[in-house]
Amino acid sequence: MEIVKSLNLPWVVILSLDSFYKSLSPEEHRQAHANQYDFDCPDAFDFDVLVDTLKDLKKGKKAHIPVYSFAEHQRQPQTTTLYSPRVIVFDGILALHDPRIVDLLDVKIFVEADMDVCLGRRILRDVRDRGRDIEGIIKQWFAFVKPSYTKYVDAQRQVSDIIIPRGIENLTAIDMVVKHIQRKLQEKSEQHTEALRNLGLIAAKVELPPNVHVMPSTPQFVGMNTILQTPETQQDDFVFYLDRLASILIEKALDMSPYAPTIVETPQGNKYQGLHPNGIVSAVAILRGGSCMETALKRTIPDCITGRLLIQTNETSQEPELHYLKIQPGIEGHSMVMLLDPQMASGGAALMAVRVLVDHGVQEDRIVFVTCAAGETGLKRLTAVYPKIKVVVGRIENEAEARWMEKRYFGC
Amino acid sequence: MASKEQIPSPAQGVGPIYRPDGEKPTATVSKEVSYDNVHVLPQTPQLIALLTMIRDGRTARADFIFYSNRIIRLLVEEGLNHLPVVEQSIQTPVGRDYLGVKFEGKICGVSIMRAGEAMEQGLRDCCRSVRIGKILIQRDEETCMPKLFYDKLPADIADRWVLLLDPMFATGGSATLAVEVLKERGVPEHRILFLNLIASPSGVAEFAGKYPKLRVVTAFIDQGLDEKKYIVPGLGDFGDRYYTL
Repeated sequence: MEIVKSLNLPWVVILSLDSFYKSLSPEEHRQAHANQYDFDCPDAFDFDVLVDTLKDLKKGKKAHIPVYSFAEHQRQPQTTTLYSPRVIVFDGILALHDPRIVDLLDVKIFVEADMDVCLGRRILRDVRDRGRDIEGIIKQWFAFVKPSYTKYVDAQRQVSDIIIPRGIENLTAIDMVVKHIQRKLQEKSEQHTEALRNLGLIAAKVELPPNVHVMPSTPQFVGMNTILQTPETQQDDFVFYLDRLASILIEKALDMSPYAPTIVETPQGNKYQGLHPNGIVSAVAILRGGSCMETALKRTIPDCITGRLLIQTNETSQEPELHYLKIQPGIEGHSMVMLLDPQMASGGAALMAVRVLVDHGVQEDRIVFVTCAAGETGLKRLTAVYPKIKVVVGRIENEAEARWMEKRYFGC
Repeated sequence: MASKEQIPSPAQGVGPIYRPDGEKPTATVSKEVSYDNVHVLPQTPQLIALLTMIRDGRTARADFIFYSNRIIRLLVEEGLNHLPVVEQSIQTPVGRDYLGVKFEGKICGVSIMRAGEAMEQGLRDCCRSVRIGKILIQRDEETCMPKLFYDKLPADIADRWVLLLDPMFATGGSATLAVEVLKERGVPEHRILFLNLIASPSGVAEFAGKYPKLRVVTAFIDQGLDEKKYIVPGLGDFGDRYYTL
C-alpha cells in the first residue's frame, strides 16, 4: 500500500493472491469452519488460474479476477475485470512460491515481518473483515500458519530480488523500490516513443492502403471544411456543419459493413433483389472528441449501441493514457464496430483504441476508424500496425496538429 | 421505348473496392442512362440496403420515413455539389493556411405536392432555413393530363438556384409541368436541379432530352413502367406510405 501511495500514478493495481483461493468442497468447508483446513499451504491456491491471469495482463489483455468470499470460503460467481494497468503490485503470503509466477514478475520483493506482529495483524484482520472468532484464529495459527511459514514462506527469500526488513516502517527501502519502478516506467515510455517514431519512419515510405478511404474533395465537402476551419464561424454553425459532415462520413463507413442479398416485395407485389444489413453495427466513441460525432451517428442509426473510451495524451510524456472504458457487452460478435474520433494527429490515441477493441475480442477487419481529419503519417502508422482495419477520413492534414475541433464543438 | 424497358435491370456484386469480387453480395442496381445531365448516386451496398428497406411492403411507416430521409439526405448532398463555389483561403484555429471554397449563390427548394413535400425535411437537414416553394399538380379528370392547381414560390426565385423535389419519377408529366412553371417565373433551365429517389428509364430519358441544361440527381433508375404507368418494381405510392399508411 505504501509503495502504491508513493508511486502516485494512475493505473497502479493491487492484485492479491487471496483472490485465487480455491473454492472448498462441502467436506473442506466443514473443516474450515472448524478451523481445521490449511489455508496457508500452496495447495489452497489456484496457481494455474493465477498464471493465466498474470500472463493475460502482461500481454495487455483484459483479465477477469475471481472474487473470493472468506465468510463462505467460495469463489463468487461475479468477477472483477482488470484491463491495462501500468503497474501491478501482486501481493500474498505465497506470492513467490510458484516458479511460473516468479518468471512473470519484474521485481520480486520479500517483506520481513516479526511473527508476533503477524499474529496481531492477523487477529485484527480476520475478526474485523472475515467474520472469524479469536479462538479459531489462534488454533489455525499454530496448526497451519506457523508451520507453513517455516516450510514455504521463508523459502521464498531465495528467489527475491530485495528483502525489506521491518516492513512498512522501512522508509528507505520503500523509497528505493519506488525509484526503481519509476525508472523502469520512464525507460518503457522512452521505448514507446521511439517505437512510434520508427513506425512513422517506416510508414512514411509507403502509400496509403486502399482500405483507407479519403473523402473526395467535392465542392460541398470542401465548403463545409472551410466553414469548420474558419475561426470566425459561430458555434451553432460549427455544430451544424460538423454534424452534417460527420453524417456523410458515417454513411460512408456503413458501406464497409457486411450485407446479404434478399428479395423483397413492393406493395404492388413486384419483387426486388436487394440487400439487407448483416449483423449488428455498433460504435465506440473516443472521448472527449468522439462524442462530437454522436449526433451524426444517431441520425444514421438512431439506436446504435455505443461504447466509450476516455483517452488523454499525457502532457509530459506525450503518451496516450486510457482513463476510462465502458465497452458494450457482446462487442466481439458485432459485424462492424465504428471507432469515432473527429481528429487524429500522430495516431497514438487511435492505436490505443484499436488495441483496446482487439483486446476485447473484436476482429481487426471489423473495425472502421471514422475521423473528420487525420495526419498522413498517423494514418500510415495506424494501418502499418493494424493492416486489416478500415479508415474513413474526411481530410488529410500534413503535420501533426493539436486537437481543436472538440473545443469548437463544445465551446470550451 | 416500351420494348427497351423489357430489358431487365442489371445485377452485380456491390461493395467497397478493397473487397474481392467474390465476397460482394449480388443485388439489382440502377440502370444506366447515357445522358450527361443525369446523375445516379453511386450504387453502394449501403444505398441498395436503404432502397431495399423502403421498397419492402412490410416496412412500417416510421421506418419508411426514417430510411427515405436518409436516402434523401444523400440525394441533397449530391445535388448541392452541382452548385457553384468560389475559392476562399482562410487561416485555421491553429494558424495553418487552408485553401477552401465558399458557397456561391442563393438557393431555394420547390416541392411538387404532396410526395415532394416529404423531401423537405432531408433538404432542411442539410440547408438550414432554406426557402421552400410549393407546386400542386393533379391529373385533370377530363383530359387525363397533369394540371397546375396551385403554386407559391419565393418572389425572387428567378435569382435563385432551384432544387426541385419529387421522389417518384414515372412518366415525368408533373415534373415537366413544374419545370415549365419555373421557367415562366424566369428561372433559367441550367439553374434547376431535379432531386428524385426512383425514376423510370423512359421518363428520365425523355425529360433529360427535353431539358438538356437541367440536371437530374436520382438514387435509382428502375426497370420500367407497368401498364398503369407505375414504376416497376418501384415502392408503391410514396405519398401514401410517407403520410398516411
